[in-house]
Amino acid sequence: MPIHDQSYRRYRGGKEKPGAAWVVIATAGIVSTIRKRKFLGLLLFAWLPFFIRAVQIYIASSYPQASMLKPTAQTFRDFLGQQQMFVFFITIYAGAGLIANDKRANALQIYLAKPLGRAEYVGGKLAILACFLLLVTWVPGILLLFVEMAFSGSATFIKSNLTLIPSITVFSFLSVLLASFTMIALSSLSKSSRFVGIMYAAVTFFSDANFEALRHVLRTTSISWMSVPALLEQMGDVIFRQPPRYDTPWPISLLVILALVGVSALVLERKVRGVEVVT
Amino acid sequence: MRAPSYWQASLRIFELSLGEMLWSRRTIFMALVVGSPVLLAGVIRAIEAAGIAGFRVESLRINGATIFGMLIWVLYLRFIVPVLGIFYGTALIADEIEDKTITYLFTRPIPRGAVLVGKYLAYLTCTILVVLPSVMLVYFLLVPIGSASLVSSFPSLVTDLGLLALGLAVYGSLFGFVGARLKRPVVFGLVFAFGWEQAALIFPGYLRRFTVAYYLQALVPHAMPEQSTLGAVQALFRDAPSGLVSLAWLALFWLGFLFLAARTVERREYVLEQ
Amino acid sequence: MTATAQPLVEATTLSKWYGQVIGLNDVTVSVPAGVTGLLGPNGAGKSTFMKLMTGQLKPSKGTIAVFGEPIWGHPHLFFRIGFCPEQDAFYESMTGLEWLTGLLRLNGLDEKSATTAAQHSLVTVDLVEAADKKIGSYSKGMRQRVKLAQAIAHDPALLILDEPLAGMDPIGRRKTIRLIKDWARAGKSVIVSSHILHEIEAMTSNILLIHNGRILAEGDVHQIRDLIDEHPHTVYIRAQHPRELARTFLEHDDVLSLKVESDAVVVQTARPDAFYSRLTDLAASSESGEIAEITSPDDNLQAVFQYLVK
Repeated sequence: MPIHDQSYRRYRGGKEKPGAAWVVIATAGIVSTIRKRKFLGLLLFAWLPFFIRAVQIYIASSYPQASMLKPTAQTFRDFLGQQQMFVFFITIYAGAGLIANDKRANALQIYLAKPLGRAEYVGGKLAILACFLLLVTWVPGILLLFVEMAFSGSATFIKSNLTLIPSITVFSFLSVLLASFTMIALSSLSKSSRFVGIMYAAVTFFSDANFEALRHVLRTTSISWMSVPALLEQMGDVIFRQPPRYDTPWPISLLVILALVGVSALVLERKVRGVEVVT
Repeated sequence: MRAPSYWQASLRIFELSLGEMLWSRRTIFMALVVGSPVLLAGVIRAIEAAGIAGFRVESLRINGATIFGMLIWVLYLRFIVPVLGIFYGTALIADEIEDKTITYLFTRPIPRGAVLVGKYLAYLTCTILVVLPSVMLVYFLLVPIGSASLVSSFPSLVTDLGLLALGLAVYGSLFGFVGARLKRPVVFGLVFAFGWEQAALIFPGYLRRFTVAYYLQALVPHAMPEQSTLGAVQALFRDAPSGLVSLAWLALFWLGFLFLAARTVERREYVLEQ
Repeated sequence: MTATAQPLVEATTLSKWYGQVIGLNDVTVSVPAGVTGLLGPNGAGKSTFMKLMTGQLKPSKGTIAVFGEPIWGHPHLFFRIGFCPEQDAFYESMTGLEWLTGLLRLNGLDEKSATTAAQHSLVTVDLVEAADKKIGSYSKGMRQRVKLAQAIAHDPALLILDEPLAGMDPIGRRKTIRLIKDWARAGKSVIVSSHILHEIEAMTSNILLIHNGRILAEGDVHQIRDLIDEHPHTVYIRAQHPRELARTFLEHDDVLSLKVESDAVVVQTARPDAFYSRLTDLAASSESGEIAEITSPDDNLQAVFQYLVK
């Protein structure tokens, strides 16, 4: 009976160049998340507004009597605004456990003992969430433009609203950037995905509730920078060249968003470590 | 040795859990949440004291009691109470399952339901101990603004405290049940508290009766702020039930969900993840 | 094996599956009083069986009774049962003494008796000095011992221990083994699981062999030992002159097969005891050159399991 060598064997296959390992993390994460039926249901549900808008565009293009339904830049702004609700739930569903679950299973040490940098690990995790979020913001937003072109049979609308493609892109990426960075940072703070989910929801609602309260008292909306949802609303209006709904100057809103992303990056830098040394 | 009664077993679980709950990271988070209205009240008080601005609505000066009422609505009732209910309620059993410490409690000669009831009592004590002092601080900071009398508005403070305690009790038992029943209770909790409850309240008809907020709001002794669109629509369709009816429904929800939660824990098999 | 008295645990066509994964498959077995070792490799179904006998899981099919009563939904049985789970899970911010006292209160003891019993069990597991330290600061071995302490603290008639020696240092292991033996000597019963044969052998001779969710064998551990010895045994010998060594081996009829490699010889023998004895002599005499390494790829339970499954 031949005896096979059961001892350690050195890997003799090819190796990827350093820097590409995030793709492995991202791919594995995307595949395992998409396999969950409930999540797939949530993704499908998030596309419902797209289909409703598509029907609206179809009716407006086909029936002159329904001209009031014709899409404008505001339509696309409103559509992406509505998608923020799905961004919120998908961020919690797909994002809360991204690092927290690895911490719970002590997998972080194992990951970081491989030829995988911390930045690559975080990049891979960010890519998982960003991918799903773009799938419910940027992808349907751009598709909606093509739907308009297909139903109207001309590119007139796009030509006269040339800024829409960059607007949809910039706003989608901005909201995805904020949601993914803050969620991943929160996920690195705990071992419980439930706790992370609640923290994320609390930060969102809490900042908004405080803004609402102060707004009532001070009778001004210039403090909208303290609410996370209001930050994006304000930036969305500016990006889509709509009249801003709050008195806060948009550069302040943008600065606060960038500050939140910066703080999240700082948290990730401190918390994503193979071994945490407590002094 | 004699088996402790259901109530005794619950109390012993309560004793075992209270310290854990009170000195956990969660409580720090909770302190931040309930500390924010106090901070806000402090800022408002400072602005008023510095004479930077008088708080006015349509040229009418608003007093501290009105601001206090607004904070009860906007921060405590619509945000803090449901969030704490979700936060702790869903974790009553889920935390023990996740941490795999439930084994030690389920292999004792006590009914499993008592584990939930004891932990629920710990939740209630913990949240009441943090939320109610925060409300009182906000009250003492805000109400004197605009020379409102502390004495005359004191009964409304007592109502507020009772109302918030009741809210914590009802939301806690509801989400305790959700946590015992579902694998992903947080998403459901958030959808319920910030999706369903908000949406159902703006529709006329019976839908709103399937919310906790509908009955809680009927007991609030302050006027509902109507500045936001949602608030305005909710105020438009507001048909508050009487205090007694609200109390009866809230008591029913409270005891009903607590019973269901305990029964679920009693009967459900919890498989610990390997 | 025949049980003279009422069996402690009695499983009848007991099965447990988690979705599509079978944890325990159609098990019918009686566990008698005394110390019983539940032996099997990782993933064999030992923990599932223990969770079923402690009422943490509901049988998917069949029944399980402890002290003659179904355990699911009968918490009063836990007066007589102490369970030490496998998982390393604790209320980290509590001290060992607080934790034990709290759990003992759930067993119906008043504050004073609970504290006394907790202290007593901490003495038994040699943790008195760490009694007032937080469990979060305990070493792995201390955590194992405090877990054992909560199982014995209420003086149960039946101790169920899931891998109690995992993570313990050699002294801790020896003490725990002694504790289990003393427990049995006091007329109480223990069911203990492990995947290491000699650990179980050190505690009891009565074992249940479990593999792939099925009970493969039950009875005296020496019979299992015999099976190991009778089962064709593979030995890998790395040597200076493997061909010379192979020639020496061929002179004996217990050698069933031989395979010579560049620096080693792989032997299958029917009588491992005799073979090892000769090998020791050979190594000492250096007659066939220097022997650098002797390993046996199947000197473990897996080989016996495979043999029994066949």
